[in-house]
Amino acid sequence: MKEIDVREQPLLSFAKTTRIALAGVKYRLFRSIVTVAVIAVAMAFLMNILSESLIKKAVALSAREGIEELHRTDKWIAKLSVPQSYAELIAALAAPDGFSKDRNMLELDELDPDQQARIQRLAGQAAVYLTFFDELNYGRRRVLVGSAASTRILDLLQDETRRKRLTEALRNMRSVRFPGDPEAFSAFLDEWPALRDYLGTVRENQRVAIQSVQDALNQRTMLTAMQQADGPFGERIRRAGFDLSEAEATSLTAQAMAVADNNLIADTINRPELRQAVAARYDVLPGDVSIDQIWSMLAKPNSASWYIERMREVPLPLPERLTTDRLTDLSNARAESKLYLKAERLTTEAGGGFMGIGERMTWLAFVSMLVCVVGIANAMLMSVTERFREIATLKCLGALDGFIMTVFLIEASVLGLVGGVVGTLLGLALCLTRMFSIFHSLVSRSFPLNEIVLAALLSIAAGVILAAVAAVYPSFRAARLAPMEAMRIE
Amino acid sequence: MKDKATKQPKKPEQDAGKQRVIIRTIGMKKEYNRGGEITQALRGVDVELYTGEFIVVMGPSGSGKSTFFNMIGALDSPSHGRVFIDEVDVAQLTAEELAFLRCRKIGYIFQSYNLIQYMTALENVTTPMAFGGVDPDQARKRGMDLLELVGLGDRWFHRPIEMSGGQQQRVAIARSLANQPSVLLCDEPTANLDHHTGDEILAILQKLNTERGVTIICATHDHRMMNVCDRLLWIRDGAIERIARRDEVEVELGSID
Repeated sequence: MKEIDVREQPLLSFAKTTRIALAGVKYRLFRSIVTVAVIAVAMAFLMNILSESLIKKAVALSAREGIEELHRTDKWIAKLSVPQSYAELIAALAAPDGFSKDRNMLELDELDPDQQARIQRLAGQAAVYLTFFDELNYGRRRVLVGSAASTRILDLLQDETRRKRLTEALRNMRSVRFPGDPEAFSAFLDEWPALRDYLGTVRENQRVAIQSVQDALNQRTMLTAMQQADGPFGERIRRAGFDLSEAEATSLTAQAMAVADNNLIADTINRPELRQAVAARYDVLPGDVSIDQIWSMLAKPNSASWYIERMREVPLPLPERLTTDRLTDLSNARAESKLYLKAERLTTEAGGGFMGIGERMTWLAFVSMLVCVVGIANAMLMSVTERFREIATLKCLGALDGFIMTVFLIEASVLGLVGGVVGTLLGLALCLTRMFSIFHSLVSRSFPLNEIVLAALLSIAAGVILAAVAAVYPSFRAARLAPMEAMRIE
Repeated sequence: MKDKATKQPKKPEQDAGKQRVIIRTIGMKKEYNRGGEITQALRGVDVELYTGEFIVVMGPSGSGKSTFFNMIGALDSPSHGRVFIDEVDVAQLTAEELAFLRCRKIGYIFQSYNLIQYMTALENVTTPMAFGGVDPDQARKRGMDLLELVGLGDRWFHRPIEMSGGQQQRVAIARSLANQPSVLLCDEPTANLDHHTGDEILAILQKLNTERGVTIICATHDHRMMNVCDRLLWIRDGAIERIARRDEVEVELGSID
């Protein structure tokens, strides 16, 4: 027999393969567009979920900060009225910087570092145990500690028999996971009186300090006094031993003034003359005038100045600072604080899950990916099936299996890339429209640019990878067929 | 086996000296398993075809003619028996080597042209050259020459959809010649064409056979083919019914007329 002069075929260059694949895409433009649309819709969904969740997370963070800021005055008024409870003190001490604030209040000067460390360690343990008892449901709690709550539980457990009963009951409750072992808890309970005594001293110090601040009020309300937080009253607070920085004092003053002015404006609705004036201006019944309406009216400078005149006519004792600009500012600040509250209410789900988009959203994104894979696989399978004749012809002309697979993979990747980019832009546009219409300026103020870019890259990559993965099987099948079998299938 | 081959009644013995065997089948059988039911498409075919021959394969539809074609074109593998193309046993080849064989040794011409729709005439012709690793510039030059040969030199940039059936078939012929194959396999090349265009295609095939010495194996129902072929091969019920030289057949036809 003659020697076999059959050699292996050279593989076509990648550039040439790509050119052939692209020519095919261009020729079947409509079909390709449909496939791209499937991918784009899926990726738009993914990008929408991702970016909305990321924006919501950022908004939630800044809303929480904003709300904390809003409650600054309230917090100080509470602090200057009653000593903190044991549980509050424990929580404060257990925090990483527990000893940094209100130093003299905590008698730090009299504590050496060893004692300091001990107190902090005990407070840390106490915080863990208290959280455990706090989170128990009613029935279990009843069995374990009776009707006691908070630090009172620790007091009661000083009794040996009660302690034994608790250990016994804990052993029987299989589903309850006690933090740490019972011996450690027992050891902690032995040390608890020391911590309690220390906290008691702190509370006593606080009481004395609060008394000295209260004495300085001279018949004023705390809110009125707070308006001088950057002046003599602030000095008094500091002398009493509270940690009040200059910056905080300034913002406290401003906020106290704002609260006072807000109250003043809120009170005007109870003045029949003003109510009637507003009703006449807006052509509604006096009974329908609401405080929200008045505030939104005050957002406009000319209406604000009109209202100031009306208030002077009544006459109301207006403070000097209450100018038109001030009123507009107050109105805006009020709108903003409402926005914060709304944002907080609407972003309860944020955090947790993949990239911090929330558990439910992670699940949704996962399901959307599944749908997308099936859709793309279907599109690719159709595209391959309707081209069996072409594949068979190419094989007759000497095409290698690898070439045919590469052509289809390139085609799928290109479609995936286009679909991914289009879908990502679409999803982002939808998300931005929606988010801006809900959260307004909060979005731009806390825009998580880096994370959004990452999410965009992620969903484009997902489009390419999903399309390529979905095309592997159909193209593998097409490439392995004998040419004539492929033609027969048609 | 050899004995059986020599038993075939009409073998062109006078040419056997200068021609060598290009395609040889030994006991070639093909069975299709369709849902548990086994259909025998070919029941053992032994045939030898020589270089430079123009062979016409005739037979009613369902006779196994197409299966025979796919076997000798290395497009499908037989269930039993062996197929040698240019003395190479097709069954021994790997997928890559099969691709090489289809690319260089055999040119295919189909009833429905099977051009790649999204390529121009020239690209269609140069694609097999690209698969064979021919330099692109040279491929383009050779492709233009081939298109000139089939009379389509001025239409190289047209896509199949912009051409008539005859023109498409001519592009297909040019494409089949891309890598100077030893064998040209034509499956009903004129069936989809009108009488006049069919004549043109026939003329081209004949010219290729006589001027370039290309072996042409042509399955057809078209009786005009008989006028240009060297040998005729009848297939019926999956077996060779008869092999005859043209001059012998012409005598019979003449007597019938």
